Amino acid sequence: MFDRFDIFFVQQLVNGFSVGLVYALVAIGFTLIFGVLNVVNFAHGEIYMIGAYAGLLAILVLAPPWVALLLLVLAAGIAAGIALERAAFKPFRRFRDEASLKSKAMRESTLLSSLAISIVVRESVEKIFGADMQAIPRAYADAMQEPISLGELAVASGQIAILAAAVVMFATLQWILKRTDIGLSIRAVAANPLGAQYVGVHVDRTVIATFAIGSGMGAVAGLLIGLYQGTIFPAMGFAPGVKAFVAMVMGGLNSIPGAVLCAIVLGLAEAVATEFFGQGWADLVAYVFLVLTLVFFPTGLFGAGRERV
Amino acid sequence: MSLLAVRGLVVRMGALEILRGVDLDLAAGEIVTVLGSNGVGKTTLMRAISGVYRPARGSIQFAGEEIAGLASHAIVARGIAQAPEGRQIFGAMTVAENLRLGAAVTRGADRAASLDRVLSLFPVLRERYHQRAGSLSGGEQQMLCIGRALMAQPKLLLMDEPSLGLAPKLVRQVFGLIAAIRAAGTPVLLVEQNAKAALAIADRAYVMDGGRIVLAGEAAALARDQRVRAAYLGGHVGV
Ligand SMILES: Nc1ncnc2c1ncn2[C@@H]1O[C@H](COP(=O)(O)OP(=O)(O)O)[C@@H](O)[C@H]1O
Ligand SMILES: [Mg+2]
Repeated sequence: MFDRFDIFFVQQLVNGFSVGLVYALVAIGFTLIFGVLNVVNFAHGEIYMIGAYAGLLAILVLAPPWVALLLLVLAAGIAAGIALERAAFKPFRRFRDEASLKSKAMRESTLLSSLAISIVVRESVEKIFGADMQAIPRAYADAMQEPISLGELAVASGQIAILAAAVVMFATLQWILKRTDIGLSIRAVAANPLGAQYVGVHVDRTVIATFAIGSGMGAVAGLLIGLYQGTIFPAMGFAPGVKAFVAMVMGGLNSIPGAVLCAIVLGLAEAVATEFFGQGWADLVAYVFLVLTLVFFPTGLFGAGRERV
Repeated sequence: MSLLAVRGLVVRMGALEILRGVDLDLAAGEIVTVLGSNGVGKTTLMRAISGVYRPARGSIQFAGEEIAGLASHAIVARGIAQAPEGRQIFGAMTVAENLRLGAAVTRGADRAASLDRVLSLFPVLRERYHQRAGSLSGGEQQMLCIGRALMAQPKLLLMDEPSLGLAPKLVRQVFGLIAAIRAAGTPVLLVEQNAKAALAIADRAYVMDGGRIVLAGEAAALARDQRVRAAYLGGHVGV
């Protein structure tokens, strides 16, 4: 069906797709938090890193089955997200009226406070575990690398795991946002914080839930990619953080479907760039996309006027 | 005894004192209206009662309990819902979702009952149930705003300029509704620009100016008051 070059190329696209899914999982957390509070959470990449380390610790200490491992990491991410919100965001959310809930002052102070927390967390992890890549126990590393052939294509079991985890998490998120009270509250605060207060939405609890959901997903993404690529180290959250940020901007800042789509496009584009220009160029793709988006589509690729979140 | 008793309420925005010591009472079963020109502090008063603004001084007692300084969700949970100025509906969400958000503080069985009640009060919301709230006409959005507040099964309903921007026929409909809501047992604190219609359905009225209450009394008496007629009823003789 394909000649050699084509198979290799399609293989790269499959890889790019699974990388894009990971960016998407990270981008969702970014986008949710931006939608609700209008702030960029600079510590989101560290949540991703914490997910990977929490998973690694669980593997070393408990060697749990996969589902238990994922649930543990989800819980660790949720806990870290809640702690992050209390430490870096809550102190700057003193005022009640609509002007201050999403105010410029809050945006600027939380930019710095989340950046500060991210540095402290990264340096602490480096102090405790060292700056190097962590060795991943064979059983788990190998489980991610089992070849599965789909016709002439070969994908790794880890890619299937990433795909499955992403699909489950996207579906769960949509269900939460559309069907549950807390999801409705998240959308309400994102769309109209003043209206949300009038109907009696518990704004503080809603903000915590937003961080919990976004951070849980980010942490699971960190573990999956860490195990799959064998790259668990303190600064591992930086690159996916940048990619997820770019995906959020391309998607229009507060559209989850937009961010997911753009994250996948970014993953694919990086794979293509690697193919044609070599590894070093792939990381440039995100920045090129960012600049092009900001210049030509300042409200994102899908335009303004959609529902926030 | 008053259901709602506001005493010496002061609200500041930075250095500005917007409310400068407001006293107001509302008894169970009443419609009380607050009149006054633009910018005198009516919306600020309503927001302070709903907990959107935190009072700098003064007290707000509701059903014998101090609520000044509580968060807005806690106040809605205690039974004060508001149909706010500018409606503040969630335009990108469906009518159904807006109503469900209005019931954020109630539980399952209560919700079904409030939903039945609200949809029978506003048949148009049943027709538009799955449409985006933003696609509704202005009048329909106002019905949604009021219906959403009623979903919380409030013991007191605050309404801030519900007739603003509506055609005369809809204005009559809104005032008819206010009377019906009171008749069904929910007292109403009503802020209105349409002083004549408000005084016609209210039991008592307050007139605000410069962040203070400057006149208070029976609605019928205020409707005959020369100062009120001159300032808010167009000054015509023989209403
Ligand atoms: N968030 C705010 N910051 C500063 N001033 C405000 C704010 N909200 C209202 N004001 C001022 O408070 C006064 C009363 O406003 P408002 O309560 O909306 O009046 P009304 O509802 O009677 O028209 C106005 O002079 C307005 O400019
Ligand atoms: Mg007003």
